[in-house]
Amino acid sequence: MTTTEIPTASRTRQDAAVKKPPRRRREGAAWVFLSPWVLGASVLTLLPMAVSLYLSFTDYDLFNPPQWVGLRNYTQMFTEDPRYWRSVVATLTYVVIAVPLQLGLALIVALALKSMRRGKGFYRSAFYAPSLLGASMSIALVWRAVFNDGGTVDNLLGTGGWVNQPGWALFAVALLTVWQFGAPMVIFLAGLQQIPSELYEAAAVDGASRWRQFLSITVPMLSPVIFFNLVLQTIQAFQVFTPAFAVSAGKGGPADSTLFYTLYLYDRGFVASHMGYASAMAWTLLLAIGAVTAVLFRTSRSWVFYASDTDGGA
Amino acid sequence: MRSCATAAVLALCAALSGCSGSGDSGGGGKAVLRYTWWGNPDRAARTEEAVALFEKQHPGIDIQTSFAGYDAYKQKLATQAAGGDAPDVMQLDYRMIDQYASGGVLLDLAKQRSALSTADIDAGLLATGVVDGKQYAVPQARGTETIVYDTKQWKATGVELPREGWTWNDWADTMRALAKKSGKPGGTDPGWSEDAFEVWLRGQGKNLYTKDQQLGFDADDLTKWWTFTDKLRREGAVSPAEQTTQLDGTVENTPLGRGGKAISDNNWDAPSSGFLALVPSGVTLAPMPSGEDGTPGQYFKPSMFMGIADNSGYPEQAAQFIDFMLNDADAAKTLGATRGIPVNESIREAITPELKDFDKTVADFQASLDGDLNAPPKAPPSGDNALQTTFQRDYDQVSYERMSPREAAENYITEAKAELRS
Amino acid sequence: MTTSTASTTVVRKPVAWRRVALHLGCLAALLVMLYPLAWLLATSLKPADEVIASLDLLPSSLEWSNYSTALEGVNEVSVWRLLGNSLFIAGGAVIGNVLSCSLAAYAFARLRFRFRGPLFAFMIATIMLPHHAVLIPQYILFNQLGMVNTYWPLILPKFLATEAFFVFLIVQFMRGLPRELEEAARIDGCGPFRSFFLVILPLTRPALITTAIFTFIWTWNDFFTQLIYLFSPEKFTLTLALRQFVDASSQSAFGPMFAMSVIALLPIVLFFLAFQRFLVEGMANSGVKG
Repeated sequence: MTTTEIPTASRTRQDAAVKKPPRRRREGAAWVFLSPWVLGASVLTLLPMAVSLYLSFTDYDLFNPPQWVGLRNYTQMFTEDPRYWRSVVATLTYVVIAVPLQLGLALIVALALKSMRRGKGFYRSAFYAPSLLGASMSIALVWRAVFNDGGTVDNLLGTGGWVNQPGWALFAVALLTVWQFGAPMVIFLAGLQQIPSELYEAAAVDGASRWRQFLSITVPMLSPVIFFNLVLQTIQAFQVFTPAFAVSAGKGGPADSTLFYTLYLYDRGFVASHMGYASAMAWTLLLAIGAVTAVLFRTSRSWVFYASDTDGGA
Repeated sequence: MRSCATAAVLALCAALSGCSGSGDSGGGGKAVLRYTWWGNPDRAARTEEAVALFEKQHPGIDIQTSFAGYDAYKQKLATQAAGGDAPDVMQLDYRMIDQYASGGVLLDLAKQRSALSTADIDAGLLATGVVDGKQYAVPQARGTETIVYDTKQWKATGVELPREGWTWNDWADTMRALAKKSGKPGGTDPGWSEDAFEVWLRGQGKNLYTKDQQLGFDADDLTKWWTFTDKLRREGAVSPAEQTTQLDGTVENTPLGRGGKAISDNNWDAPSSGFLALVPSGVTLAPMPSGEDGTPGQYFKPSMFMGIADNSGYPEQAAQFIDFMLNDADAAKTLGATRGIPVNESIREAITPELKDFDKTVADFQASLDGDLNAPPKAPPSGDNALQTTFQRDYDQVSYERMSPREAAENYITEAKAELRS
Repeated sequence: MTTSTASTTVVRKPVAWRRVALHLGCLAALLVMLYPLAWLLATSLKPADEVIASLDLLPSSLEWSNYSTALEGVNEVSVWRLLGNSLFIAGGAVIGNVLSCSLAAYAFARLRFRFRGPLFAFMIATIMLPHHAVLIPQYILFNQLGMVNTYWPLILPKFLATEAFFVFLIVQFMRGLPRELEEAARIDGCGPFRSFFLVILPLTRPALITTAIFTFIWTWNDFFTQLIYLFSPEKFTLTLALRQFVDASSQSAFGPMFAMSVIALLPIVLFFLAFQRFLVEGMANSGVKG
């Protein structure tokens, strides 16, 4: 990409002249900043994670002590449970549909709002409004009413109900997520605000077209935020739970078409009381998401631009 | 500066722990019991009133109550129990007893026999709270299944009304006739419901589970049932897959409740009161069909069990409280039928004349069946919690025509056997 | 480059037209998007028999009693108490997350220390495990600490930067700032602490405001954690209370539940409206030139 030129124009080499404090002191400072996180991560996160990893090798019914079964949960999951694979397919389909739609919509709206002079606050609030609700009980009921047979969508499009047809239900759930695009939109907006306006002024003086400005300034300067949204929305999409739980009343129907991974995990762990099996599912998901995220991080090196890295640090 | 900060931290701690100081230490020498149950605000108001009455009679006991909707309650109780933090007195469903008892969460009530009397409770119903020979929980109420129908619409079709002792074949013919006359399904497709299947199965002299908690039927039985309902669905006599898949036990999601998309539904008697708001012209409760030889399949299902946590610090006081809720005449007056028609026979006789509206309808319906039904089965094994949803999921595959009844039934049996083994 | 003077005269008309089109497009999109919200509002005023069964948007008559029932609260706990509890938890969570996540983010984004790479990877990994899998171990932990039925399990984790989402968010923003800023601060004699508070933090304000807004809304709506850890009704929140109107096994009061949803929505709407305008003030008008 040729786009890194504008930000680096201001790069100076004066830092070479600055005496850095001794490394040990800076290292100590880092640990002070990190201390709350270290405490939280080790006690509140690492410990329960270790327990769940252990449970994934056991038969655990919540009330009686766990029994060690080795890899049985994992082999059962991969070889004997057709419903497990149905949940994997449903989840992947959902990720592929919901993430690009939601992020694309959020970015377009954020860009539109940025270029607006009047009514910015109004639009920003109005577009965010659906996201205030989360996937609450009431919004689930509304969603089912709108997407059921005889509901608004059926009346307008004549498609029949969406939530009660196996081929359509997943779209109804995905639309609920896409509809609540406020969070990535706000993050995009915050990222756009952080781009120094001098860059655009300089580019305008140079006669760069809007499209050219978008490609040479907006995209590279926004790339850390785009990357953040992409990674986080992908992770969250793999774990989609509440919208599906709300729309299908926890069953993942019709005919398992919205039985997403974590929904089935919850079903195994808390309805069927096979917490060992659920833990094995959880760790498999962690590894799968980890692999996808690692790929995203790997590709990010070629398209994500960090202003703080331009002095040759990192 | 430093003392300021300390004061702020202390104030924050106090706020975080809940300002009113109503924690376990707040009782001031009293026995503090936690009592949890599921229900709605109406049940909450009546329960609070009964609890206040109990606390007045027992000044040394302080009862802290908490409630949630059924699904939320189940999840919360499971987490608490797994964390070794089960409330002293808890309300339990028929399906939860085996798991909670065999998991060591519940106290053997025989240890508190002197404080808790069960003399007035029907022996058959009481026995459903027994696991491995020990009484772990006591039911408060009973319910039974019913064919509930839109009175006006049914009568308008001219089809003969359901009568006592009708069989499943009668029912099927009636559904067909209703559909023919009205142009919409006669009733909800019962194929999704493990409860309806159980009624059908008992009509054939079999049970869902054997006495030693193994499967009481085989793939042939289930294939027969699903072929029966699947055929009716294909004929349009019962609701289509798109309606059936939305069923979750609530009346709001039944075809009958969703703007009269069918003329009847099969449901439990007490929740059917919800139809009053949804079917303006009113509903009638009819008995479930019997087996072809007249064997009744439906039974009085015990509900709203009460149990005591095994690690409760105050088991005796907890037993006194349960005794009060079950046997006290004043408590019964306050509680009415908010948890269903009471199982305590003398209490039931005392409050029946005072019941109003739909409570009276349910009481009359149950009275009409009294003496005709067989004893309830013992509480289902804990694996049934998972199998209940599996049953509906497998039937979805049948009604959306992705599997034949035979294939789905084989699937179910495989899964059920695995579930009951573990 | 050569057309810059010509374009200002030629392009003006299309720009005005474009602005109108932009507004019309946004308004049309909003019409579709806000329809379900209108449904929610309308339903909160429907009579009981129409709440679930009716598929019409507008109620046949306005049923204000849904609101009076909701305002009475649940189980003898007033709606004001519930509101106060919700505000306390959400407020505490906001302070906790903004403080702890920005501290951790600064270290990850701008300081060098041993194991930075692996620790960062671990932090990201903590978001990947579905929370249902750690629910029971966490509950046991808080139970051992005697914190069940207090607000500690809802607020303490936020002060310990357990929400990696926000750490990562702030990291991404901080990495977008040029390194010269600290170099300049260092020349002026600022150590890492002063340059964090005086230089970096003010410039990451959009990210911090975003963190505050999301934390408030998500904590407010977080039914699950509140359900598990709170026992006493007087400690309940609005989000918990509105679900108490719904019980699948008996009769649900959907009308008051919808009314309570609308009531519970008001504080987060106000919070969003109050803070969203700060999102506008990014680096562009913070007076710092690169």
